[in-house]
Amino acid sequence: MTLHFTPVWFIAVPLLLAFLSPLWVRLRLLMPILLGAHVALFALALSWIPTVRVAPLLETIVIAPPLGIHLHLDAVSLLLVALFNVAGAVVSAFLWLSHAEPHLRGRPAFILILLLIAGSSGMVLTGDIFNLYVFLEIVGVSAYALTALRRDKQALEAGLKYLIVGSVAAIFILFAIVLLYLQTGQLNLAALARDFGHIPAPMQALIGLLMLIGLAIKAELFPFNFWVPDIYRGADPEITALFSGVLVKAFLFVLFHLVFLLLADPAVARTWLMALGATTMLVAEAVALRQQDLRRMLAYSSLGQVGLITLALGFASEATTAGALFHMVNHTLIKLLLFLLTALMLRRFLSVRLADLQGLGRAMPLAAGLFVLGALAVLGLPPLSGFASKLWILKGFAEAQVFWPIALILLAALLEAGYYFRWIKVFYAPEPPVTAGQAEGDWAYTPLLLIAGLLLLLGVAPFLLEDWFVQAAKALLGRGAFLESVLGVQP
Amino acid sequence: MIHHLLDALAMLGMSYVIGFLFYGFYRQFNARVQRRWGPSIWQNFFDNMKFLFKSETVSHGAMFFFGPMIIMAGAITTVLFVPFLKDSIWLQGFSQSGNLILIIYLLVVGPLGNALAVGSSGNPYGVMGVTRGLTRLMGLEVPFFLGLALVMLQHQSASVHVIMAAQDGIANWNLFTNPIAFIVMLLPFIASQNASPFDVVGAPVEVYAGPRVEFGGRLLGILMTQNMMMTVAKLVLIVDLFLGGATTVPILLVKAFALFLLTAMISLAFPRLKTEQTVDFFWKIPLALGVIGVIATVWLPWS
Amino acid sequence: MNLIVKLLFLALSLTPAMTLLTWDGGVAWPLFGGITLLFDLNPVPGFFLLLLALGAPLVALPMLRGPRDEPAYALYALLLLGMQLLLLAGDFIGFFVGWEIMTWSSYLLLLRSPRTNLEGAQSYILFNLASAFLLLAGMLVFYSFTGDFRIHAVTGLNTLQQLSLLTLFGLAFLIKVGALPLHLWVPRSYDQAPDVFSAFLSALMSKMGIYALILLLTLFPEGLAGLFGQFLKGPAAGYVLAWIGVITSIVATFKAISQEDMKRLLAYSSIAQVGYIVTAIGVGSSLAIGGALFHSLVHTLVKLLLFIAIAGIVLQTGHRRFIDLGQLIGRMPISFFGVLIGIIGLAGMPPLPGFASKYLIYVSLLEAHWLLLLAAMILSSTAAFVYCYKLIYGPFLGHANSPEARVATEAPWQYLVPQIVLMGLLVALGIFPGWAIEILIDPVLTALGMTPIGAPAWGQLATAYGGYDGVVLMSVFATVFVLVTAIFFLLRGRMRQAGSPYDLSYAGEVPTAETPLHYGAGLGRELRRIPLVGWILSHSTQGFYAGLVRQTQAAAGLLSGLYSGNPQTWILLAVLILAATLTVQTLTGA
Repeated sequence: MTLHFTPVWFIAVPLLLAFLSPLWVRLRLLMPILLGAHVALFALALSWIPTVRVAPLLETIVIAPPLGIHLHLDAVSLLLVALFNVAGAVVSAFLWLSHAEPHLRGRPAFILILLLIAGSSGMVLTGDIFNLYVFLEIVGVSAYALTALRRDKQALEAGLKYLIVGSVAAIFILFAIVLLYLQTGQLNLAALARDFGHIPAPMQALIGLLMLIGLAIKAELFPFNFWVPDIYRGADPEITALFSGVLVKAFLFVLFHLVFLLLADPAVARTWLMALGATTMLVAEAVALRQQDLRRMLAYSSLGQVGLITLALGFASEATTAGALFHMVNHTLIKLLLFLLTALMLRRFLSVRLADLQGLGRAMPLAAGLFVLGALAVLGLPPLSGFASKLWILKGFAEAQVFWPIALILLAALLEAGYYFRWIKVFYAPEPPVTAGQAEGDWAYTPLLLIAGLLLLLGVAPFLLEDWFVQAAKALLGRGAFLESVLGVQP
Repeated sequence: MIHHLLDALAMLGMSYVIGFLFYGFYRQFNARVQRRWGPSIWQNFFDNMKFLFKSETVSHGAMFFFGPMIIMAGAITTVLFVPFLKDSIWLQGFSQSGNLILIIYLLVVGPLGNALAVGSSGNPYGVMGVTRGLTRLMGLEVPFFLGLALVMLQHQSASVHVIMAAQDGIANWNLFTNPIAFIVMLLPFIASQNASPFDVVGAPVEVYAGPRVEFGGRLLGILMTQNMMMTVAKLVLIVDLFLGGATTVPILLVKAFALFLLTAMISLAFPRLKTEQTVDFFWKIPLALGVIGVIATVWLPWS
Repeated sequence: MNLIVKLLFLALSLTPAMTLLTWDGGVAWPLFGGITLLFDLNPVPGFFLLLLALGAPLVALPMLRGPRDEPAYALYALLLLGMQLLLLAGDFIGFFVGWEIMTWSSYLLLLRSPRTNLEGAQSYILFNLASAFLLLAGMLVFYSFTGDFRIHAVTGLNTLQQLSLLTLFGLAFLIKVGALPLHLWVPRSYDQAPDVFSAFLSALMSKMGIYALILLLTLFPEGLAGLFGQFLKGPAAGYVLAWIGVITSIVATFKAISQEDMKRLLAYSSIAQVGYIVTAIGVGSSLAIGGALFHSLVHTLVKLLLFIAIAGIVLQTGHRRFIDLGQLIGRMPISFFGVLIGIIGLAGMPPLPGFASKYLIYVSLLEAHWLLLLAAMILSSTAAFVYCYKLIYGPFLGHANSPEARVATEAPWQYLVPQIVLMGLLVALGIFPGWAIEILIDPVLTALGMTPIGAPAWGQLATAYGGYDGVVLMSVFATVFVLVTAIFFLLRGRMRQAGSPYDLSYAGEVPTAETPLHYGAGLGRELRRIPLVGWILSHSTQGFYAGLVRQTQAAAGLLSGLYSGNPQTWILLAVLILAATLTVQTLTGA
C-alpha cells in the first residue's frame, strides 16, 4: 500500500489520534504522540512547499454532489498550517518536558489540543463556507473546554464567558452564511466569490457586516475584543499561548481570505479594515500600559499586534501583506515564548503580578533573558525577526507613499516599549526575589531556546523565508488565480 | 636664541617696572582725589620686595605652593605672547606663535591655577572668593570677547600683529574706526583689571575673607608681582588693538598711560558693585551695546 | 577560568581597533525584498571608529575589576558590535540595526547598576527609542522619495520634502545628542549607570549622534540655502541648529554648576560640550566641521578620563556627592592629576587640545559672521570654569567630609592605567594640534568634499584668522614654570608647612573638626542670585514629561474602563454596532 499524502491529513491525523487516546493512555505515550503528531505534520507541510509553488493543491471529498469537503492548499494556507503545527509542537514539547500541572498532561488536554490545531488547520484549508463554520465550531468548543480545564473559579468563569461570546460570534457568522446561501445557492467559496457581486448592494452590506462582526469578535478586533483579557487571564498560560499563537491567526486569516475573495475590489473595505486595525492597535497598547498582571499585559500586547497585522493586511498591497504574514509568524513565535515563560514564572512565583516578580532576573536568569529577547522581538528591534517583518510592512506603506500608518505603528511601538521595558526593569530590580514555588529543570527551556534561535535566525536572515511569504501574499491577494484554480475559468 | 632670551627678559622687566609705577601712580591719584597725601609712587615696589624677602612662609600642601607658581607662569607667558611694539624686532616675545583668542584664554590660566591653591588651603572663605572671581569672569568675558570679536571680524584676523599693522595713522585706529567695539569692551576690561567698581573680589575686605586669605610672605609677593605684570600686559594689548600700537617704547608708555588714566578715572567715579550685580550689569548694558554693534556692523546691508 | 574570561573580554574590547586596522573591502548582506545591508569603512565613520577603538579597551579595563560578570561582558561586546555596524553601514537599514542594537544593549547594561530606578531606566529607553523611531520614519520617508535605502546625497527634492526629512532626522539625532529640551534622559542615565559605563555613554555613545548629524549634512549638499541667506551668511537650517546647540550648552552649563553629585555634573557637562559640537555642525564650514571633529575627539578623551577617575573615587570612598568628599589630593594623587588634566581639557584652556578645538569653532563662527552665537558660546565656556573648579575642589581639595574620604586610598591599577594613557594623549594632542588636523581630521574633511584645514607643522594650528604654535606655547609655559619655581627656592627665606588642616585664618577663631569647612556642594549656589541664571535653574523640562506620562496613564485608565468583565456588555455592544451601522447605511442609502 502506498502512502498517499493529501491535505486531509492535516485534519484527519489529529482527529484520528485524538480518538485513539485511550490507547495512548494505556501505553503512556500521550505526550510523545502529541509532540510527534505536530512535528510529523510540520514536516509534511514543509515537504509540500515545492509542489504548492507550482499550483495550489485541491482536494475534494464528495459526500453528496453539492455537499462535500473542499480543501484548498496554497502557499498561504500551507504557511499557516505549518505555523500552527510548529505552535502545537512547541506547546506539547513544553508540556512534556516541564513540570506541567496534571490537568494539562491528561487525556482531555491531549484531545482538545489536537482538536484545536486540527480545527484551525481546517479553517485555513477549507474551500467551503459551511465546512468553515463546522471547523469554527470545533475550534470554538475545544477552546472553551481548554479554557475551563483547570476547573477553579477563575478558569470556569473564563470558560463560561468565552462560551457565551464565542457562541454569539458563531451566530453572527452563521447568519451571514445562511444569507449567502439563500442569495446565491452556493457554499463553495470560489463560487460564492463569483456570485457575490450579483447580490443586491444592501444585502451585500448586511452579509458583510454580520460576517465582519462575527469574525472580528473571534479575531479580537476593537471594539469587539473586550472579552480577551479575561479569557487570557483565566486560562492556563500554556493554553493562552495557543489562543494567541494559533486561534487568532486562523480567524484573522479567515477574515481576510473572505474579504479578498468576496470583494472584487478590496479597496472598498480598505479604509474600514485599516481603521479597525489601527484603533485596535492603539487602544490595546495604551491600555496595556497600566496592567499589573503579566497575563493581562501580554493579552493586550497580543491585541496590539493583531491590530498591526490587520492594519497591514487591510492595506492589501503585496509588500504589506507579505510583511503582515511574516509578522503573523513572528508574533506566534514570540507569544508562544512569552506565554510559556509566563507559565514558568507562575510555577516559580505562584503569581505573575508586577509587584511579585521583583528581582526575577536573579532567580530565573534564563527566563528573564528570554523574556527580554521576546520583548525586543515584539517591539521590532533588530536583529530579531520582529524587526524584519515590521520593516517589511513599513516599507510597503512607504512604497505606496502612505505615511499615517507608519506614524501610528511607530507610536504604538513606543507605547509598547513603555510597558515591556517597565516589566524588564522590574525583573532586573536589585531587590532579592521572593520565590514560593519550585524551580524548573533545564529541559523545560529547550523549546523556548528553539524559538529564541528561530527569532534570531529569521531576524538576521529573513531572506530564507522571503520567497514563501511573497508567494503566500500573492496567493492571499490573488482572487483571480483562486477562482481559476477552483472553477477552471477566468471570472 | 640669545635674542629671544634678551627680548623676553626686557619684556618682563618692562612690564614689572611699568606695573609698579602705574600702581603707585594709581594710589597717589586715588589719594589726591580723596584729598589725602597718599603713598610714594615707589610704594608698590617696596611692598612687593618686602613680601618677596619674608623669612618665613606658611604652606598648606603641595598644591597650595604650586598655585602661585602656575599663576606666575601664566602671567609671564601672557606677557610674552603680547607684542609690545609694532614694526620692531624687539619686545615681541613669542607673539608670532600666538593670537588674540589665545591671549584671552591665557589671561585666565593663572587665576584658575591660583584657584587650585586656594581650594587646597582648606579655607572656605577663600573658595567663596574664588567662586566670586569666576562668576565675575563669566559676566565680563561675554561683552569683552564680543567687543574683541568685532575687531577681529573687522580685520578678518585674530592675529594681534595684523590688527596692529592695519592701524597706520591715527584715523585708522580702531578706537575711531570701530568705536562701538571699544565701548563694548571698555567696562569689562576694567573688570578684568580687577579695578573698581567691579573689584569686589579683590576688595580690601577680601584680603582676610577672599581668595588670598591664606597667602602670606613670599607667596603673596608672587601674587602681587604677577598682578602688576598682568595689568600691563592687558593695557598693552588694548593699546595694540585700539590705539594703533606703538613703534617705540615712549609712545607705548604714553598710550598705555592714557588708557590707564581713563580706566582709573572711571574706577574712581563709581561705587563698588556686588558680584551678581556685576554680572547682571555686564549681561545687560555692555552686551546690549554689543548686540547693537553686531546689528550695525554685521547684519545691516551697508556692512 | 576567571583570568581567561577576563582576557577574552579584553580581547573583545579590541575588536573596533581590529576592524579599523584590518578592514578591507565591503560586505553586503541581503535582508529581503531587495534590501541589502552594505558595510564598508569610509573616512567619516572611520574617524568615529577610531574614537571607539581608543575608548573601548580603556573602559573595558576598569570593568574587569571585581568578580566576573559575564552578562555585562556579553552586553558590552554586543554594544561594540552594534556601534561598529552603525559606523560601517553604508545604508540606512544597517545604520538603524546598529543604532538599535546599541540602544538596547546599553539599556540592559544600564540596568546592571543597583542605582538605576524606574524613571531613569524608562526615560533612557523611551527617549532613545523615540529617537530610533523618528530615524526609522525618516528613513522610510527618504526611501519613499528616492526608492533607495543607501545613504547618499539627494538632490532635486522640494523644500517641503527636505524640511520633512530634516525634521525627522534632526529630531532623532538631537535626542541622541541630548540637545535641549530633549535631554531629560541624559543626566538620569549618566548618573545612574554603572560608574565605569557612564564613561562609555558620555564619551562614545553621544558621539554616534554627532556622527549622525554630520551624516545629515552630507544628505543635503545644497542645504536650505537661500532663506535669510543674506543676513545669516549661511543656511538657515544650520543657523537654527547652531542656536539649539549653544542654548543647550548654556543651560546645561548652569545646570551642571548647580549639581551636588559628581556624575550628574559630568552628565550636564557632557550635554554642554556636545552642544558646542552641534553648534559647530550648524555652522557647517570646513573649519567648523574640523572643529566639531576635533572637539569630539577631545571630549571623548576628556570624558573617559573624568568618568573613570570619578568612578575610581566612588569605588574607593563609596560617595559621589561633593559634600561627602574632600582632601583626597594627598591620598589619590594620580586621580587628582587625571581630574586636573581632564578639567583643563574640559574648560578649553591652553595648552591642552580643548583650546585647539574651541579655537577652530570660534574662528568658524567669526568667519560665518555669527557673532551673537560666538558671544553665547563664550558665556557657556566661561561659566564652565565654575563647574570645572567645583569638580576638582569638591573631591580633592578642602577638607575631608566623611570618614571614608579620610581613609581612602588610590584607585586600583585598572582605573589608573586608562587615566595615565588618556592624560598622555591629551597632553600630546595639546602640543601637536596640527598633527591631529593633518592625520585625523583632514582626511574626513576631504571625504566630505570640503577643503582640508591643513597645518604648516605638527605643532601648529593654522586658520585664515591666524593660528598658534602648541610646541612654543607648551615649552614657554613649562620653562617659565620651572624657572619661577627654581627662583622661588633660590630666594632667601624658608617654607613652613601648616601645623594642621585647621590652622586657618577663620573669622578670628580656631576651627575644629566639627566646623563645617568643606564648601563642596555650596559652590556656585550664589549664582542663583543672577537673574538669568536663577531663571534657568528654576525651570526644568521634568514637569512637562511627567505631565505627559500622567496624561498617557490617565488616557490608558480611561480606555481600560472599556474592557469590562461583563459578557452582556460585549454582546450588547456588538449588536448595537450592527444595528447602528445598518441604520446609518439605510439612511444614507450607501
